[in-house]
Amino acid sequence: MNLAYRYTRDRILHLLFIFLTSLVVLPLLVIFGFIVWNGLSSINLDFFTQELGSPARAVQGLPTGLVAAVLGTVIIDLLGLALALPFGLATGIMLAEYSDNPLAGPIRILVSTLNGMPAILMGLMAYALIVKNTGGFSGISGAFALGFLMIPIIARTTESVLRITPWQLREVAMSLGLPRWRAIMNIVLPAARPAVITGVLIAFARAAGEAAPMLLTAFGNNYLNLDLTKPMDTLPQRLYSLAISPYKQWHILGWGGAIILLLFVVVTFAAARGAARSLEKRTEALKFDEDKNV
Amino acid sequence: MRNIKATLIGSLMALVLFQSCGGEAEDTSKEYQLLGAGATFVAPLLTAWADAYRDVTKGKITVNYQSIGSGGGVRQFLEKTIMFGASEAYLKDDQMEKVKTETGGIAFNIPLTLGDVVPTYNLPGIGQGLVFSAETLSGAFLGEIKRWNDPKIAALNPGVQLPDLPINIVHRSDGSGTTNVWTHYLSSVSATWKEKVGFGTSVNWPTGVGGNGNEGVAGVVMNTPGALGYNSLVYAKLNNIAYGKVINKSGNTIDPSLQATSQAAAVAIPEDGRIMVTNTSAPNGYPVAGFVWGLVYENMEKNTAIPTKDAAEQVVKFLYWVVTDGQDLNESLNFARLPKEAQERAVTMISSLKWEGENIGQKVIEKVKSRGF
Repeated sequence: MNLAYRYTRDRILHLLFIFLTSLVVLPLLVIFGFIVWNGLSSINLDFFTQELGSPARAVQGLPTGLVAAVLGTVIIDLLGLALALPFGLATGIMLAEYSDNPLAGPIRILVSTLNGMPAILMGLMAYALIVKNTGGFSGISGAFALGFLMIPIIARTTESVLRITPWQLREVAMSLGLPRWRAIMNIVLPAARPAVITGVLIAFARAAGEAAPMLLTAFGNNYLNLDLTKPMDTLPQRLYSLAISPYKQWHILGWGGAIILLLFVVVTFAAARGAARSLEKRTEALKFDEDKNV
Repeated sequence: MRNIKATLIGSLMALVLFQSCGGEAEDTSKEYQLLGAGATFVAPLLTAWADAYRDVTKGKITVNYQSIGSGGGVRQFLEKTIMFGASEAYLKDDQMEKVKTETGGIAFNIPLTLGDVVPTYNLPGIGQGLVFSAETLSGAFLGEIKRWNDPKIAALNPGVQLPDLPINIVHRSDGSGTTNVWTHYLSSVSATWKEKVGFGTSVNWPTGVGGNGNEGVAGVVMNTPGALGYNSLVYAKLNNIAYGKVINKSGNTIDPSLQATSQAAAVAIPEDGRIMVTNTSAPNGYPVAGFVWGLVYENMEKNTAIPTKDAAEQVVKFLYWVVTDGQDLNESLNFARLPKEAQERAVTMISSLKWEGENIGQKVIEKVKSRGF
């Protein structure tokens, strides 16, 4: 057990960690590279401004693009987030702050179950509730499907974030005479804000990549449509239909769509990471204060 | 919290903004979005029709067609979530019955174009145009003819050096109109097939491996020397897969082509449009062909996907355009033109479409005849 041996062991383990990590990261980079390599040639102005139309357009070299899918993804995803946010946050708050409520236990189990459910079931629910009752496929039904998908994710992250917020915050707030709801809304939530945002962004990015629920709700559209009561296009679903088509030009367009979707998700996750960082700084500051008080 | 609020308000504003956009456009210039869905096979043609029809109507009518498969098209048509369906298999008797009791009218199966299914294969050193007969195809798909150098195949292809390879059958694993046409052909030429397997959008295959979609079958065929599968002609052509000729009922060897397909369907069409034209008796017709049908309710107001009478009239107009002027597009896109009999039957069906008892089909056709589309 001399020093040299301990250093060597440390180095070997260090190398092992690097090796195992790169084993995971390398295939991911290869996939990124492959997508960019295949799709980059389709990314041009037409890609963002033209409607897809029929495959004849692509085959004959006429202008064609994915404007409908790009805009549709952003609109439906944002709308889904707007629908999910109040419910997701409220559930998370209820589970963390009112865990003494007899409903909290069953709800926690329900949230976990919903978290593990395949996304297509959310699509099916939106189909049964919205599509069937409003007389057809629509962008708004797609937003509902994505909203259903986001609620349990937001609820779960909000709950765990609120749980790790220092308990003293609530004690201090209430000792100053604030009612419980005010303590939560004005003290606890703002303290946990960056982490809550991280959770919300993860839900947002996760929903942006879902194709299956869209098949049953937003349904797809080869033309640009901003009327939410009519079928709309989304990138994941369009990628699927481009990929199974017999046209090489559509395959390239599909790879291009994959680049955009990937960018969308990567940017969202980067933002989430940024938010998480600022939370770390905040909690450190809080801890420092605690130490001083002691 | 401020950020979350901002996101929320932003999204809501976007919603209000976009909704008002759509509303205004519809009120002032009477723009319509028609929605159809179904057969994947016909999607390239239907979307090209939609592109062209948009030009014809000066951008006012947009037809959104989504290829969700024949099975999906029938399903959503019966669920009344789409304005029209498209399918390579006509509605079954019980489905026709269901429509009759639910809507008080019949479901029309309107011929739109034709599909042809060709045997595709992968034999190293052997190109396009191997000859197949009803006997060799049914034998191979039943698993009775096991090797490519079988005397029955060799007899049809004198001068071709057939390899001593096992025949690997490849079929569709998903429900498919292409399978419906292919198995219907095998059923009509082979009593054994009819009894053992039958026909439909998916069947219990006696032998072989499955591939998902046209592309799945093509993929397996291209990667497996000795493979024998079936694909739509247009798919085989676009992807440079070798496909064979088939001997028809009259004993003529038919090279699959759009004309041969149209000829196969030059028969009288029943009132509801439901007829299979495989194993045609037309001397120059290609034997493995079938219609692609557009599905609409006779009583259009019963379809909840069609909100107003105006919208219904636009559906009628589009369908009428498809079976008349639209047919000029077919051959340039590798799709067969409707033969005269089928076209006449289609127009008859369209002209008897109704909205709350009013015969809007006839009205729209007359308006088009006097004023154009």
